[in-house]
Amino acid sequence: MMNQVVIDKVKEALITASSGFREDQKEAYRRAIEQEGHLQSCWVLKTLLENALVAQSRKSPLCDDTGIPHLFLEIGKNNVLTGDLLENIKEGVREGLKCLPGRPMAIKGNTCERLDQSGGLDDDPQALQPAPVLIKSIDEDILRLHVLMLGGGPAIRGKTYRVFHRHNVNVVIDEIVAWSKDAVAQLGCTPCTLAVGIGRTQFEATSMMIESMVYGNYGVQSELENEITRKVNESNVGALGLGGNVSVLATFLNVGPQRASGVRIVCLRPCCCVEPRRACVIL
Amino acid sequence: MVQIVYTPISDETIRLLAVGDMIKITGYIYTGRDAVLPKIVSLIERDQIKDTKINLQGSVIFHTAVSPAGVGPTSSNKLEIESSIPILSKAGVKLHLGKGAISERTVKELQHYNSVYAVMPPVTALLKNQTNSVELIAFPELGMEAFYTLNVFEYPAIIAAAHGKSIYHG
Repeated sequence: MMNQVVIDKVKEALITASSGFREDQKEAYRRAIEQEGHLQSCWVLKTLLENALVAQSRKSPLCDDTGIPHLFLEIGKNNVLTGDLLENIKEGVREGLKCLPGRPMAIKGNTCERLDQSGGLDDDPQALQPAPVLIKSIDEDILRLHVLMLGGGPAIRGKTYRVFHRHNVNVVIDEIVAWSKDAVAQLGCTPCTLAVGIGRTQFEATSMMIESMVYGNYGVQSELENEITRKVNESNVGALGLGGNVSVLATFLNVGPQRASGVRIVCLRPCCCVEPRRACVIL
Repeated sequence: MVQIVYTPISDETIRLLAVGDMIKITGYIYTGRDAVLPKIVSLIERDQIKDTKINLQGSVIFHTAVSPAGVGPTSSNKLEIESSIPILSKAGVKLHLGKGAISERTVKELQHYNSVYAVMPPVTALLKNQTNSVELIAFPELGMEAFYTLNVFEYPAIIAAAHGKSIYHG
């Protein structure tokens, strides 16, 4: 059964995620502008912040790659997720994509046509399917939906792979830093935010990475997060790759359960300069 | 100082541009990315570009999709985009506009044809006010990835590769 209240809430969350920076994100940009001594890179940082303020005031897309919707649902102990609610959430996503508008980039066709793009593109922004929903139980007595919009550039540069940790946390951190330096240099849309998940399998590491984007805060950084950010910034890639000391604004690191093994599975997403695009709503 | 670059761009204008220059582009520019640029290259290689209304002499190609969401640079180092740069430069394109590091080989090819590469931040909301018109030119079946021309006013960019030098390779 259609629940217009839920549909409207999800629609607004998608538009909010796609069209503005959160306060901690704006503050991170302001700090970066103060720290950046490179003339052109500083101009890029200021222009990106200005773009975000304009997008927010118009509720229009920050970037023309409006991204693939990813949904992260928190469920309290006394709350129920039904198939009906899930359909209403998906309808809210469709309405959000129509209203934003999202970029019409759904690929049509069968298996092969979707792989080689020979089936063409669907003109309708609403045809874009969200990624599978992640669900997490929480102590609060609510049902909260987080909407994330994930662009293509970071997906090209992201990496999920195993790290032999040699029973030394620095080995894992150094590997993350090495991957990040490569990714940030190639990304194009810097300054970036590093989203990192570490788990027992590829699925778990990726889930942890998504969760890191959901909860990450530019104003609250752990020692390990600061260390990764500092080391990657030493590469002096700078905004748009122009050089300078702000290549990374922050790191969102999320370490999940680990396996009794010499291996850790690490998932890195070098979020571009408009990401993480996220918003949440209580349903 | 920011230089205003009008299209079509002359060889002399390109000779005066240097890596790190901040520019603003005004005039008609083409757009293309992964799907359509290999098709444009194919038209050039088969000597069929003259049968179209595409005039690449002194032109700008902006690596972007064109959709109701707006425009913004995609990664120029994607295989099908970067590999189009030499032949498009040879055919008259003077400025390739996108984002991301390009290879030393591409930098040398740009030098050979007196063409440059510029980058711009993904500022779709700002560009909306600086885009006067959008016209579909070729390959409509590619949707947002078709070949378009835009009439733009002062699109901001920074020269990232020119005359054999680049911000990526020292």
